[in-house]
Amino acid sequence: MEIEKNLKPRQGVVDLPDIDDSPGPYCMSFGFEPESLIASIKNVGLINPPYLIGNEDGPYMIVAGYRRIRALKVLHYERAPCLLLRKSQFSSLDCLHLNLHDNLATRRFNEVEKGMVLSRLTSLISEDEILDRYMPLLALPSHKETLLFYVRLERELEKEIKFSLAQGQLSLQVARMLLEVGSEARGGVFDLIKKLKLNINQQRQFIDYMIDISNIKRTPILDFLKEKSFKDILEKKDMNKPQKAKALLHFLRTLRYPTLVRAEETFRKRAASLGLPEGIKVSAPPYFESPLYRLEIFFRDGKELGSKLEALKGKEGLEALGNPWEEGA
Amino acid sequence: MPDSLIKMITIEEGASGYDLAKTVLENLPGIPVQEVKAPGKKSASTDTAMGKKTIHLLPYKGEFLKPCPGTREYICCGYQILNLGTNCPLDCSYCILQAYINQPHLRVFSNLTEGLAQAVQRIDRQPEQIFRIGTGELTDSLAIDPITRWSERLLPLFSTRKNVVLELKTKTNQVKSLLTSNYRDRIIISWSLNSPFICLHEEKMANGLKKRLEAARQCQMEGFTLGFHFDPLVQHPGWKDEYLKTLDLMADYIDPKGVIWISLGSFRFMPGLKPIIRRRHPQTCVLDGEFVTGLDGKMRYFKPIRIDLYSYIRETLEKWHSDLGLYLCMESDDVWQRSMGWSPNNTTGLSRYLDRRVLKIFG
Ligand code: SF4
Repeated sequence: MEIEKNLKPRQGVVDLPDIDDSPGPYCMSFGFEPESLIASIKNVGLINPPYLIGNEDGPYMIVAGYRRIRALKVLHYERAPCLLLRKSQFSSLDCLHLNLHDNLATRRFNEVEKGMVLSRLTSLISEDEILDRYMPLLALPSHKETLLFYVRLERELEKEIKFSLAQGQLSLQVARMLLEVGSEARGGVFDLIKKLKLNINQQRQFIDYMIDISNIKRTPILDFLKEKSFKDILEKKDMNKPQKAKALLHFLRTLRYPTLVRAEETFRKRAASLGLPEGIKVSAPPYFESPLYRLEIFFRDGKELGSKLEALKGKEGLEALGNPWEEGA
Repeated sequence: MPDSLIKMITIEEGASGYDLAKTVLENLPGIPVQEVKAPGKKSASTDTAMGKKTIHLLPYKGEFLKPCPGTREYICCGYQILNLGTNCPLDCSYCILQAYINQPHLRVFSNLTEGLAQAVQRIDRQPEQIFRIGTGELTDSLAIDPITRWSERLLPLFSTRKNVVLELKTKTNQVKSLLTSNYRDRIIISWSLNSPFICLHEEKMANGLKKRLEAARQCQMEGFTLGFHFDPLVQHPGWKDEYLKTLDLMADYIDPKGVIWISLGSFRFMPGLKPIIRRRHPQTCVLDGEFVTGLDGKMRYFKPIRIDLYSYIRETLEKWHSDLGLYLCMESDDVWQRSMGWSPNNTTGLSRYLDRRVLKIFG
């Protein structure tokens, strides 16, 4: 957007208490770490004045520069140079544009902020225009589904979850899954993720298991979370967080894939019972989907290989290996 | 599919001049018509109904007849897909078409006559090859036949060619126009069957099992060759008893000697379909099973479960009749051996087996 010449903002110095610094309708900042901005202002002062909108004598609303105002307040500034826009001359869309381009020029939006931009735009312009013009600006595909997802993300997810997403502690995929979990159970699921410090992969697995199991058992996730088995794992005194995370995921996997887990365990037991010489390993194909099992032999030289092969040849009970669900394999 | 469910016709630029467009308009009098531009990607539907009440006429720019893509990792049947349109008015919870959310509406290709001419050219150029052709991969073959009259165009064209069989696969009882047609030779009318529980809960818009089998019986009595497809087989509580009910019903309605083949395939899906199914069909049981990543990246039941499903259905069907042309859809050699007791080894082997069935039934 270009600001028309006769509508150019007026420069002024504004008392900070006259500025409403709550994230207003144009704010597109979320989950930022103010430290570096504070340090920069401390060193060189405010380089770009924020844009404010309001009437002659305030109070002013921030159009662009929310982070800067917050930083100035932290630094106990009393007033700041600002660019002032008149309410009568700038529509909400103008203000939103201004903020958007002000931000785009200096940084990349995080996922929550993209949701904020899109969510605000949906109430001001047509969906087609958002898809055509704004999604590419945000480096998003121009798909309606993507648009709706980002809007939901902004509107439905709780602040704490959004904060984790903005910080990169949750992936976008996990945020999507959390939306599907529903608001009643989401807090509980997220608490557990935080409590056990699940990594991104574990988070995805955890939520996936929870949704599946709750569907299979026809039990709401919230009730399922209250089950004793969860508590037992979480309260284990002899386990640290990563161990508890592993135990929890194993417990859920056993519930979700009983036949597969049983097969894996049977295979492991059978392989172990062979007592193969050191440096010889047998393994099953992923999920037993391929019919081919794998033998690995580690050796230092041909002589060692020869003796290991010899030992293997004489091994009894090899026929026990094979598909673990088959009798007598 | 009652045509009364169609609420709107949209005609894409360049689609209205074709005769199929005229047929559709004639068969849907009084339904509002709207001319539209070719939709771009952005017009993806998120409408949970997927625009199933709108018929969208468009010219198809690709080849109408294409070999089923199959995968290297599993044995494919060497089928040829005749693409008449995509999407389907039925709304099975497991339907793969839900993943094509970018292309909503019942899309009907209006340049069918031209597409068929091309397809026939290809068929006639290879007289030594048997073309097993089906239209039911990206839509139900008969659900909107009263509107499109596809069968009126297809039957005369394929019935008269000696190196072709045309299979129309459906979950409906829309067989009226088939029964009034004069063509029977080299035409196979097939029904997708499932357990009564799955039909009721997961194929909500399709006709019930009895209606499908009644239609099948009618077709058989009128001289059509039949096929059946148990695909997707779904593991659900009491599945053995449930599938047995279907098999018993089949035995009541159908003469097995007039069946060219019965395929078995267990539920499989690209991982991206799962959240869509969850969103569109929150009560579904089709995702309850133990799915693992297959060699082709699709999710499929853990192998012993698949073997169990196939073995049970095979054994039961074989008690009914020993020569039903049973085959597995997209399975490994290993699973074939363990559930069917033999294996065609690869796609060529399975194609040969099915070609032999064609020769046996149609000569
Ligand atoms: S009948 Fe086939 S194409 Fe139609 S919704 Fe069901 S699975 Fe999909």
